[in-house]
Amino acid sequence: MLWGRKWSAEARVAEGPEDEGFRAAAVGCLDGLYGFALTLSRDRATAEDLVQETYVRAFAAHRRPGPDENLRGWLFTILVNIWRNERKRRRPEAVADLEAATGGLPSQGPDPHAVLDQREQREAIRSALETLPEAFREVVVLRCVEGFSYQEVASIAGCPAGTVMSRLARARALLRLALAPRASAAPRAPLTLVPGRGGRS
Amino acid sequence: MIACDAFRRHISPYLDGELLGEDRAEFEAHVSGCAACRESLEAERAVVEAIRRALPLHQAPPELRVWVEGIAARGRPAGPSARRGLRALGHPLVVAASLVACVLAGSALLREPGLRPSAARPSSAPRPAGAFAALAVDTHLRHERGQLPLEVRSEAPAEVSRFFEGRVPFHLTLPDYPVERGETKPYRLVGGRLVAFDGDYSAYVAYHMDDRPISLLVTAAERVRPEGGEAVVSGGLTFHIESRAGLKVITWTDKGLTYALTSDLAVAGNRSCMVCHGSAEERRKLEGL
Repeated sequence: MLWGRKWSAEARVAEGPEDEGFRAAAVGCLDGLYGFALTLSRDRATAEDLVQETYVRAFAAHRRPGPDENLRGWLFTILVNIWRNERKRRRPEAVADLEAATGGLPSQGPDPHAVLDQREQREAIRSALETLPEAFREVVVLRCVEGFSYQEVASIAGCPAGTVMSRLARARALLRLALAPRASAAPRAPLTLVPGRGGRS
Repeated sequence: MIACDAFRRHISPYLDGELLGEDRAEFEAHVSGCAACRESLEAERAVVEAIRRALPLHQAPPELRVWVEGIAARGRPAGPSARRGLRALGHPLVVAASLVACVLAGSALLREPGLRPSAARPSSAPRPAGAFAALAVDTHLRHERGQLPLEVRSEAPAEVSRFFEGRVPFHLTLPDYPVERGETKPYRLVGGRLVAFDGDYSAYVAYHMDDRPISLLVTAAERVRPEGGEAVVSGGLTFHIESRAGLKVITWTDKGLTYALTSDLAVAGNRSCMVCHGSAEERRKLEGL
């Protein structure tokens, strides 16, 4: 199996046509899966391939999460396992091309200024995330973007919950450093971090 | 009293709602009396909030969404080629005879003199229509699901046209065909909105025909070159017809604008299209189809 044991242990055998609900719910995870894939790979084409492969495997799977089980966690676990297997085949990490990867980002809105502000926010966060090691990017996106619990993050990432906690703390500290200069350099920037000082006595 | 370093390890779980019970109470008690830990807490909270405000960070590209919805509709991958679904999107698709109705509708609409482009602004070479058609289908589906509200809601073509004025890099005047006394238009304009495409806005116009949604996505011709699908020539124009995510989408270029018409029309006949959009002259042109 390609996904974590916890998810597969909770899975059930798919039952024919009535799994339409499963497929619809799976499609509802698309944006999150794509964002996670992009965070891991930092390459749009790779992210799209990862997402495609995730859905192909999910829909072809004989055992799937039931209606009350954690479909999102199962899908994210499939994706992260595909990524890790793929990465083993690539010696260097995929070259970062986050600018090119923003082509499919939310950009529809009635107010150009609001769109611009949102873009600035996203750009700043994405740029800051890009500076983090992959293990940190992974936990930040799973927790702060996707809202998984520590235990769920641990299952997806394949590490203890305590490791998730420490990685999150370190990742946020690094993010704060990466974001702070931007906040001070651009008064209009929406990323005003509070308080503005270092945070340690 | 626990040392500050030990407390700071609790900051992340505290902010994430993972610090519970006595541990949480102890932490809060400490922070209330320790300025340094409070400062650390607020610093990390600021990062969490900054991320939260920036959400959603990413959205899947329309082409990928169409592909995923397609595979979801089938239930299982069609075969090995499904692994390269995005590339498969450009494959020619079988066109149902009923799509002729849509072609006629599109043809009649675009031939209406009221739909006229302004002078095209200079641009690089046009892109193939695949991304544009995918965006049209994606926007159509999202609007239908209530995920993408219209920015102008009106049945008055003039009002919807005014909304687009100055917001899109081309001139768009929606036609307003007169109906005979006692006759009811079988279609209804619902409204429109802007949709980002190729670094600028395109115009999305929503209609209803017999309570079924039809939409038109319009952009400047220099941005998109229609291609792919089945090519049907009518009235001197070439329509490219294909199926995406269970919908019919037709792309074509006329008078400096490129259109993508999206609908789920399956059985509508030529009559409805010609009644809605066709002048007598247009009907004669379309009889050959």
